[in-house]
Amino acid sequence: MSQSAQANSIAATAFVALLGQFALDHVLAQSGSRQADVNRGAVIAAQGTAKVPACAQCHAFSGASDGSGTFPRIAGQSTYYLAKQMHDYTSSARANPIMSPISKALSADEIADVSAYYASVDSQFPPLATADAAIVEKGKQLARVGDAARAVQGCNNCHGPDGAGATPAIPYLAGQYAQYISSQLQMWKRGFRNTGPESMAAIAKQLDDQQIAAIAAYYQQVRGQQEVPDTTDASAAKR
Amino acid sequence: MVERLKPVDVVTVGVGMTGAIMGKELAAAGLKVVGLERGSVRDTVPDFQSPMIHDELRFAVRKGLMQDNVKEAVTFRNSSDQTALPIRRWGAFLPGTGLGGALVHWNGQTYRFQPADFIYKTHHEQRYGKDFVSPELTIQDWGVTYDELEPHYDRFEFLLGTSGKAGNLKGQIQRGGNPFEGPRAREYPTPPMKEPYYGALFRKGAESLGYHPFPQPASTMSQSYTNPEGLKLQQCVFCGFCERFACEHFAKASPQTIVLPVALKNPNYELRANCHVLRVNLDSTGKKATGVTYVDAAGQEFEQPADLVLINAYALNNVRLLLNSGIGKQYDPTTGEGVVGRNYAYQTVSNVTVFYDEDVNINPFMASGSSGTVIDDFAGDNFDHTSVGFIGGAYIGSIMTNGRPIEFHPTPPGTPAWGLGWKQAVARHYNHTVVLTIHGSSQPTRRNYLDLDPTYKDAWGLPLLRMTFDFPENDLRMSNYVTEKAAEIGRAMGGKTVAAAPRRGPFTSTVYQTTHNTGGTVMGNDPKTSVVNRYLQCWDVPNVFVVGASAYPQNASYNPTNTLGALTYWTLDSIKNKYLKSPGPLVQI
Repeated sequence: MSQSAQANSIAATAFVALLGQFALDHVLAQSGSRQADVNRGAVIAAQGTAKVPACAQCHAFSGASDGSGTFPRIAGQSTYYLAKQMHDYTSSARANPIMSPISKALSADEIADVSAYYASVDSQFPPLATADAAIVEKGKQLARVGDAARAVQGCNNCHGPDGAGATPAIPYLAGQYAQYISSQLQMWKRGFRNTGPESMAAIAKQLDDQQIAAIAAYYQQVRGQQEVPDTTDASAAKR
Repeated sequence: MVERLKPVDVVTVGVGMTGAIMGKELAAAGLKVVGLERGSVRDTVPDFQSPMIHDELRFAVRKGLMQDNVKEAVTFRNSSDQTALPIRRWGAFLPGTGLGGALVHWNGQTYRFQPADFIYKTHHEQRYGKDFVSPELTIQDWGVTYDELEPHYDRFEFLLGTSGKAGNLKGQIQRGGNPFEGPRAREYPTPPMKEPYYGALFRKGAESLGYHPFPQPASTMSQSYTNPEGLKLQQCVFCGFCERFACEHFAKASPQTIVLPVALKNPNYELRANCHVLRVNLDSTGKKATGVTYVDAAGQEFEQPADLVLINAYALNNVRLLLNSGIGKQYDPTTGEGVVGRNYAYQTVSNVTVFYDEDVNINPFMASGSSGTVIDDFAGDNFDHTSVGFIGGAYIGSIMTNGRPIEFHPTPPGTPAWGLGWKQAVARHYNHTVVLTIHGSSQPTRRNYLDLDPTYKDAWGLPLLRMTFDFPENDLRMSNYVTEKAAEIGRAMGGKTVAAAPRRGPFTSTVYQTTHNTGGTVMGNDPKTSVVNRYLQCWDVPNVFVVGASAYPQNASYNPTNTLGALTYWTLDSIKNKYLKSPGPLVQI
């Protein structure tokens, strides 16, 4: 099976588990049959709206955010995934003191547009210091194969070959900031984040801090993944 | 030169589902147990990880997890007047191999048999009269009842973490479950899996006709679960790669995820992989086993003495091992005498395909091996058989297990078999088709049986098992009847085209149907018609127990795994509480 067929099948797969029929209905109802307006999304990203500041202030207009890793890289993340996170912020299913008020102040159409914009951006990676090679190698092992002793499967099972993501439901990790991956894994581990399949929490709980750091360091330096076509977004738009 | 090893208390031939459970339990009871597994050691991490494990060509088409039929095949013929030939590539059924056995690559469908199934002959005589069943069908009672097995079903389901909805709790019918099932002591360990769209369409169609749909019991987890052994399973992600594949997510109940890690931690338990058992050794009386002889990966032969020999291989291999060890009398279809190889049965499976317009998106790839919705209205003896001309039945389900790209491409009748027309039809129908499964019982007959092949031998020079099988007329009539009922449901589901394909004879070994081979070492209360007693203990050699679906006197409408799990715990109970206290025959005749 080709890599992209592989990724698609994982993606498709993850759909049911991730969404649940309710969430799916919810998101589709909000976007309705309207086609997302990427240009309008770009304006929101650059300028904000009357009620919210520009997304670019933290995430940059390029979606690469800044190198601190406080804010995630969102460029090229799927429209579906970005919109779902925004709706989870709105409902506070995913609690965040910065993002929740912003999401609540945006309409469903605005969320759809700005998500479509950032999904469409092909952005450069800022130069970052490289982590210790042994740590990266340890992270690669966990990403690809997992850890038998802790009964943890490889991250790539769901997140796609070398973390390329499995659109639309599962985010890429390749090139994501180590700081951000590691803080999110810690949140999954400690029960502060649970907006996804149960297995994400189960896995995070099995990992120790060194392993989390290694996984984060590994994915941050992955580059050059083939783009995985975001077919489901296209068909959703058609609908 | 055969090396004689230090004696142990127990040896299990095979470390699949039954071998792993029995090995774990008996080691915990303080016995020295050796598990002999002919295949390799394998585990979720690292062996089952993707993308490798989702290689459809390697595992589904080339059947990478199955018994190597270059080394060990089965010969097959439809009837005794033909010459059997070896099955060089697995087709109709797929015997597994390797640590964890078939429970590594199974779908996870976890049905109980009905109370009437265990008293099959008696039940039919009582309901329809003594002369109702054709004498050609050699059906019989199991010697164990549903009520006796219920606590063991329960224990096995909790080991697996099975997801489902009870339909009968202690005699009280429960909404949403299977109203035809035998009484359960308690609910399933985990709630049912989410209903896929194909299941929802089926539910609607079946309900409109007055049937009783319920979620298929699944040992692919609806939520995370910690079993009584303390092992954790995770929620299934509906990846569509269960059957013929292993699970990368710890979401499917397999020996590796439910019991083996506990066995392997016990110093009383020793696993020896890549050790292929050639025969059970008997003493000069022929009434006592002294152990087994096996050959390791280097080709070295060993004799492993043991007080207790548990045969836990695949059903067909259980039969073959008995025959190659000279245990029990070979069945002879001309005289009807002998028992080993007798009452071989299969499963009578057919399909109905429902083709929809392009605005109905099925997304068949979002599936687990056991997600979906089924009805039991036409299974077993759940409907009146007085004038239908057959016994037995089938469950009907919308239980698609996958939408994998190489092998899933349904096309309506009249589609060209190749070329542009075929390709266009595949593209048109791939995402707009629901396949219904009709999973039916199999009645044993005098002429269907297993024995040793007179010509063909395996890689170690031992005779192959020979299968003589064709579908009994009874089962083809059953398939015709229930498949038509399924087609009616298909039409009620709103399909544009409904294509029914009832099972037709002759049985062919080249087209995949199911790996539910049963019988050959049948259990019962009469040594003239059974190989093992009601505790799966050999009548002829009491320190040998044969644990497998080979014990089924006939096969019911359901997937056999859950019943085998229940029998495993039932047998363990008898070994721990009766046999070990006083070794010898547990049933006197």
